[in-house]
Amino acid sequence: MIDLALKDLSEHKVRTILTALGIFIAITAIVSLGSISTGLNQLITESTGSIGSDTIFVMRTFDMSEMVGPPGSYQIEDMEREDVEFLASLPGVKRAVPIIARQFGGMFEVDAVDMDNVDLFGVENVEFMEGTWPDNEDKGAVLGYLAASTMDVVVGDYIILPGSKKDIEVEVMGIFEEGSGAYDLVILLPYEFGDEIYETDGGATQVMLEPTDVSVVQEVKDTIEEENDDLDAMTMQDALSMMEEATGTLNIMTFGIGFVASLVAAIGIIITMYTSVLERRKQIGIMKAVGAVRRMILQQILEEGLMLSAVSSVLAVLVSFFFVEMLNQVLLGGAELALITPALAGGAIAYGVLLTVLSSMYPAWVAVKTDPIKAIRGVM
Amino acid sequence: MKGPIFELRDVWKTYCMKGVETNALRGINLVIKDGEYTAILGPSGSGKSTLMHIMGCLDTPTKGKVFIEGREISQMSDDELARVRRDKIGFVFQAYNLIQGLTAIENISLPMRFSGHGRGESQRKAKDLLAKVGLVERMHHKPNEMSGGEQQRVAIARSLINDPDVILADEPTGNLDTKTGKEIMDLLESLHKKTGKTIMVVTHDTRLAARANREIRMIDGHVVEK
Repeated sequence: MIDLALKDLSEHKVRTILTALGIFIAITAIVSLGSISTGLNQLITESTGSIGSDTIFVMRTFDMSEMVGPPGSYQIEDMEREDVEFLASLPGVKRAVPIIARQFGGMFEVDAVDMDNVDLFGVENVEFMEGTWPDNEDKGAVLGYLAASTMDVVVGDYIILPGSKKDIEVEVMGIFEEGSGAYDLVILLPYEFGDEIYETDGGATQVMLEPTDVSVVQEVKDTIEEENDDLDAMTMQDALSMMEEATGTLNIMTFGIGFVASLVAAIGIIITMYTSVLERRKQIGIMKAVGAVRRMILQQILEEGLMLSAVSSVLAVLVSFFFVEMLNQVLLGGAELALITPALAGGAIAYGVLLTVLSSMYPAWVAVKTDPIKAIRGVM
Repeated sequence: MKGPIFELRDVWKTYCMKGVETNALRGINLVIKDGEYTAILGPSGSGKSTLMHIMGCLDTPTKGKVFIEGREISQMSDDELARVRRDKIGFVFQAYNLIQGLTAIENISLPMRFSGHGRGESQRKAKDLLAKVGLVERMHHKPNEMSGGEQQRVAIARSLINDPDVILADEPTGNLDTKTGKEIMDLLESLHKKTGKTIMVVTHDTRLAARANREIRMIDGHVVEK
């Protein structure tokens, strides 16, 4: 009976197109918003996944309320040399890797880290587009793809790092492959060289600690916070919770907008399908008069909804790929932040179909209850 | 002697419009034998169409019992009635009642599709029936592209697709001119002669009614003459 449902859809083109448009807009909104959530979640998973799960981050205590303004406008105060030494000397600490971090341009970050310990920073597996790592003695840096393309530099060029205390030229020694996630936005240089440029005198913005064993993580964190009021220690678990909280807010927002879009689409589907049933009341009456049982009437209305939603949802997902690409290229300067995973695409199509089938239930029920004689005579 | 195909025992149909009750049928007792060609005559509002709708399982009586081949239909569910309409009865309406968006062949094949047959098989049989009613060349035309007489012939072909035992025709010539009306009655008469199907026709025309084996007259919801 699919052929009859298809025939009915093509007989009423305007009605079909309007219903399809409602589904299309809702699914496009859901996929486009969902892609940002998905992309951020993936970025966080990748970034945290590359760092050891038992790593402890230590930085100077700061007040969250001071962190107002655009990203990068607030700089956490550096720790002193003594603080770094104190952390390295703690029992249960296998490695202490100091990092000098400076943010610039809203989204970029300079990180000075010991080149022998970049594994703890989680960056050792990132592929190079050109060049390689500097040695600890080099006056050079590795740039993320977007950092290099924004500054318009290639390997062998020299740059002055933002926020430098001295006008020291830094040689570009390597550029990471495009699409390296958060590392697209960083400039990495040897710790000693960063210490010289930013005059931190052996201090650090952050120290990453590798414990001797995963069982001592909490103990190390507690010792730091008990013995030094100026320092905050954060375990990977704490960091994950904070990031989950932040993405949770975004997820709720996405869900909210998606819900409203779905509601509008569902009401649209109910109205058009209901109107369609009223318009076809005589036809439904004739079908019943010549022997259609209730299941067949129900089946035809639901088949119409199914076909309509499958086509509109697939189309919406295809168009969303284009939107997301535009969003990444135009608004985010090539960072692949928004991401449509197969799960998101498949889920959105399934959701579109389910939404339409559920919205078609009431109109279908009205059709099923049609009295053939009244419908044929045109009496309500 | 063939047995009864329809039996009505004290059948009443009462409509309630804005609190006022109207009896369209008042205690009808009627037996129609298998293979009979019956004409039902009567003025407008006498209950002819209501009687046809109840016998055609399109409506149920308010009171009384209706049997088709010995099975009581007055207590059947919507779906059971739909199956009886589909398999046992072919209904021909005054206003043809073809689906406007479907072609002649699609309209005719519809009841067969509803009984679970495929599109190809149903359309093959529909084409044979179109040939019998002389409309093969119009099979891909939609109702609004056909004359009233052609539409009624398509409706008769549709009523025959599931090879029902009974054809109920509610004023089938009511919307047609005299000549076309006669052609439709000729078609029904030849159908009766060739297939021996039970045929009941509601008509105002006494000349057309005279062609039937039996005449039933209705006045004010009563069968007054047999």
